[in-house]
Amino acid sequence: MESSVRQIADVSLIRIDGRVDHATAKAFEEVIKPHLDDTGGAPLPKILLDLGGLSFMTSAGLRVLMIAAKACAAQGRDLAVAALQPAIAEIFKISRFDLVLTIYPTVEDGLSSLSSEAAALWEAG
Amino acid sequence: MIDFVSGLARERGFGPKRILEVELAAEEALVNILTYAYPKGAGDIEIACRGEGGSRLTVEIRDYGVAFDPLSFPVPDLLVELAIRKVGGLGVFFVRQMADHVEYRRSENANVLTLTFTNREPQKWVNSTHTEGT
Repeated sequence: MESSVRQIADVSLIRIDGRVDHATAKAFEEVIKPHLDDTGGAPLPKILLDLGGLSFMTSAGLRVLMIAAKACAAQGRDLAVAALQPAIAEIFKISRFDLVLTIYPTVEDGLSSLSSEAAALWEAG
Repeated sequence: MIDFVSGLARERGFGPKRILEVELAAEEALVNILTYAYPKGAGDIEIACRGEGGSRLTVEIRDYGVAFDPLSFPVPDLLVELAIRKVGGLGVFFVRQMADHVEYRRSENANVLTLTFTNREPQKWVNSTHTEGT
């Protein structure tokens, strides 16, 4: 698993590539966790996960996402994912993760819905 | 171990998506054994695969740990709101969903889990266990 993070206006865009399974779920959690802290600053950034490069995810990865979604909901902010590959989309559908977080077809769609400022910056490159 | 199973699925002509589903089921089954059968750590796991006809793969996973029947695990309620939805329980759920047939038996001092996969397109999943108002 590999990851990278970009702060675009009020959105933390986290890209995850590769596989999130039993072996890499801990590393995945370490990537997500710092973004869940309530730093006291208001408003807290929205979180969008770009999963375009994610090829495989097991229940261990979904567990991390579920905990993150609960934390974000409790803080009253958005957690969303975008650009799921078909196999990952199937896993999300089967496990009804459409009820856990918001799923966007593309990163652009996600940014547009979450923040017009972030969408404009993304479009400007 | 996972690569071994998915390699056999590939040899049988399973499509890429179905191979990922076989991998998912195999990984979840193995992680469950590590968690429940061998809670203290190491232990032996044996995997035997056989093909029955070209498009079917049977995977038998055997361990010698604590007796546990993964099929006795409750089916998670996936339709409740996020705040009260439980975090775990998806591993066995995926095993059940991805395999065409799952069977558990305790044989002498071993847990034996048998997963059967056919090279099918994944079925559209419906939560048949949920009842309105519960």
